Amino acid sequence: MTESSQEPKKTKAGEAPSPAVNFLLLSAGSIFTSMIVAGFLVGYAFDQLFETTPIFLLLCGLLGFIGGMQKVMKLSSRLDPAPKAEKKDD
Amino acid sequence: MGTVEYIQHHLTNNHIGEGFWTFNLDTIVVSFLLGALIVFVSARLGKQLETGKPGGFQNFVESILDFVSTNVRDAFPGHNPLIAPLALTIFVWVWLMNFMDLIPVDLLPYLFQLVTGDPHAHLKIVPTTDLNTTLAMAFTVFALIIYYNIKIKGVGGFIKMFLFHPFGKFFIPVNVVMTFIEEVSKPLSLALRLFGNMFAGELVFLLIALIGGTLAVGAAALFWAPLQVLLDLGWLIFHLLVITLQAFIFMVLTIVYLGMAHDEGH
Repeated sequence: MTESSQEPKKTKAGEAPSPAVNFLLLSAGSIFTSMIVAGFLVGYAFDQLFETTPIFLLLCGLLGFIGGMQKVMKLSSRLDPAPKAEKKDD
Repeated sequence: MGTVEYIQHHLTNNHIGEGFWTFNLDTIVVSFLLGALIVFVSARLGKQLETGKPGGFQNFVESILDFVSTNVRDAFPGHNPLIAPLALTIFVWVWLMNFMDLIPVDLLPYLFQLVTGDPHAHLKIVPTTDLNTTLAMAFTVFALIIYYNIKIKGVGGFIKMFLFHPFGKFFIPVNVVMTFIEEVSKPLSLALRLFGNMFAGELVFLLIALIGGTLAVGAAALFWAPLQVLLDLGWLIFHLLVITLQAFIFMVLTIVYLGMAHDEGH
């Protein structure tokens, strides 16, 4: 049995999420902004390395933005099971 | 001492050494003493635990324990007995280090100058306003993230995470860059957020202290001194919320990042 064998505690449709899970959203802003900042930093480093300013800066910044959005959506998906419940009703 | 010198003096660490090998003695001593305080109080409380009718302090500590363990249980996907104690230690230690910000800005530096006999001795008592502290804590958590990533997923799984996450096997170069950015962002979000908030908070306290310190001349003190007290009290109450929130976010981010490391599907 591995240490990760236990499934994440997910909220069922219609069930209010645990307050502790709601607290996860507090970290969403930090994760989002730090992904963008990290993207620009990595891009800047690549540009210095390959002398391509500002191609990688912009590309990696964009990738950081996309990654940040993905992370926030993944985090918030644990909180909002309502859309699935509505689809079932249809 | 002018306004700029006053602020610079309060934001300079008591240090030895030069360049990379600079040791901020005040940061090291204060954070070590606060860590020792946690160990001492925990050990003392552990010996006096009561099951029948617990005292007020035991109730208080149990409520913090319960709060942290509920967070870990609900937010952490795997089962790892290290996470809850780690989260608790981070929360309490960071909170205590942040709490040093609420001690009047001139009190301990002034006492330190009296004790050492040096009127220009530096003392910065809030360890979290030193980027070295927050980065050290962030890199420790980051090392744990890497360790659990490799332990849970294996070396192959860890490399696969770089190659195929998040856009699948047709975008390997993009995936590598994206995952690299994601990994870099983890210590950044932990360290810079805490440092920025605490540094800014300390600066506001210094600016408020300057109202009474440099502007109050003669009868004007009758206006500036009460204003300083009012502003200081207001910022102190607000800052109490900030220091708790920052300690809590550091703990939550640690749980989230270690949770990602334990998620085999990630």
